[in-house]
Amino acid sequence: MTKEELISSGKLELYVCGALPSEEISEVEDAIASYPEVKKEVEEIEASLISLAETVAPPLPAMVWTSILNSIRNVRSINQSGTSTNWAAISGWAAAILCIGGIIWMLQQNNTLKEDILITTTENTELKSRIDLTEGKLTSVTDLLAIIGSKDYNAITLPGNAAVASEAFAKVYFNETEKIAYFDGTGLPKAPVGKVYQVWSLKLDPLTPTSVGLLGSISENDTGIFKFENIPDPEAFGITLEPEGGSESPTLSQLYILGTVSP
Amino acid sequence: MEQPNALILEMQNGNEKAFSRIYSLYSEAIFGIINSIVLDESVAEEILQDVFVKIWNNAKSYDINKGRFFTWLLNIARNAAIDHTRSKASKNSKKNLSATNFVNILFDSDSLNQKTNAIGIRNFVDKLKPACIKIIDLLFFKGYTQADAAKTLDIPLGTIKTRNRNCIKDLRTMVLG
Repeated sequence: MTKEELISSGKLELYVCGALPSEEISEVEDAIASYPEVKKEVEEIEASLISLAETVAPPLPAMVWTSILNSIRNVRSINQSGTSTNWAAISGWAAAILCIGGIIWMLQQNNTLKEDILITTTENTELKSRIDLTEGKLTSVTDLLAIIGSKDYNAITLPGNAAVASEAFAKVYFNETEKIAYFDGTGLPKAPVGKVYQVWSLKLDPLTPTSVGLLGSISENDTGIFKFENIPDPEAFGITLEPEGGSESPTLSQLYILGTVSP
Repeated sequence: MEQPNALILEMQNGNEKAFSRIYSLYSEAIFGIINSIVLDESVAEEILQDVFVKIWNNAKSYDINKGRFFTWLLNIARNAAIDHTRSKASKNSKKNLSATNFVNILFDSDSLNQKTNAIGIRNFVDKLKPACIKIIDLLFFKGYTQADAAKTLDIPLGTIKTRNRNCIKDLRTMVLG
């Protein structure tokens, strides 16, 4: 049957009325799917029949729709409280749990970060105090360099006593007018435990030693330079190794350094 | 009128708004069908209500690829109305399903006068041939099969299809211009 034959057959009208035998329905539906003209014809038949039915319908009260809404909502709420799964509630709870989990995670992150900050702050403080220390040292060294480099100070290298320590030497920066001397003991061997280097100011004729002071532990003093004041007019300086605390008079067998002030 | 498939699909997914649109598109025609069978407006209202609740609950049993949505509605509505008439007919046999057609209702009902286009309606229904009124009433309003309609109208089975087509053709000219 061609589409024109189908349109004029009267089958489409029966199809819309629901009066077409079931074995003929697929033929009509195939034609509707394939031919827009057939589809349009069916739509027009339907539209005219709907108009006719509307025409003979009494006025429809709005209450009917309200009743329909009420009954479909009741049916739904019964279904929900019964067998059906309440997805809204489940997803709500899931969201709440996720949210709490997220908050806990963020709190943990926050704590970790706070600890990190604390550690970093401590490290910073340590670094800062180290910088302060270093700066302090630098300042004292710079000051020292400024002092011993000035023209008021004579730099004297005191040689080691060949009999006791030929390799040793000491340097002294001496200000004759102000009677101040800086001793650099870095050229001396490390003093044994229980012993200390003592500096002497010497008059040579007759040999009169006067104690200037102790060099203390060289290793404990970073610069290894010691300042002494109120030095009596010396002709020479000597350094001896003495028992801890120093001695009244130099132990000459332990004379490490001996050198005159003026060349 | 093209079938509102998007609305139908949304209704099948439980969208009440789509269902409300569908109701406003089809309820009046379906109400006309039901009323022409039960011949009682308040009963027709009740049945219409039941029919649309049924449509909502069974929306998924309609397949947009098979058959017209309106025809699906039509079958549900006619079956519900006929079921009601049958259960009532045992008590009160006075009202016969085929005795009154949609045109009788039209002229019996006073409430129809309230309709704004009542005069126009009477005009085009008036123009339908009596034979057409009978055949459209049976096949469309009452849901008769071709064979039952042929028997009731006492005409050959082969004539039903062409007469129905010609009558609906007249209707289309009147309704759609």
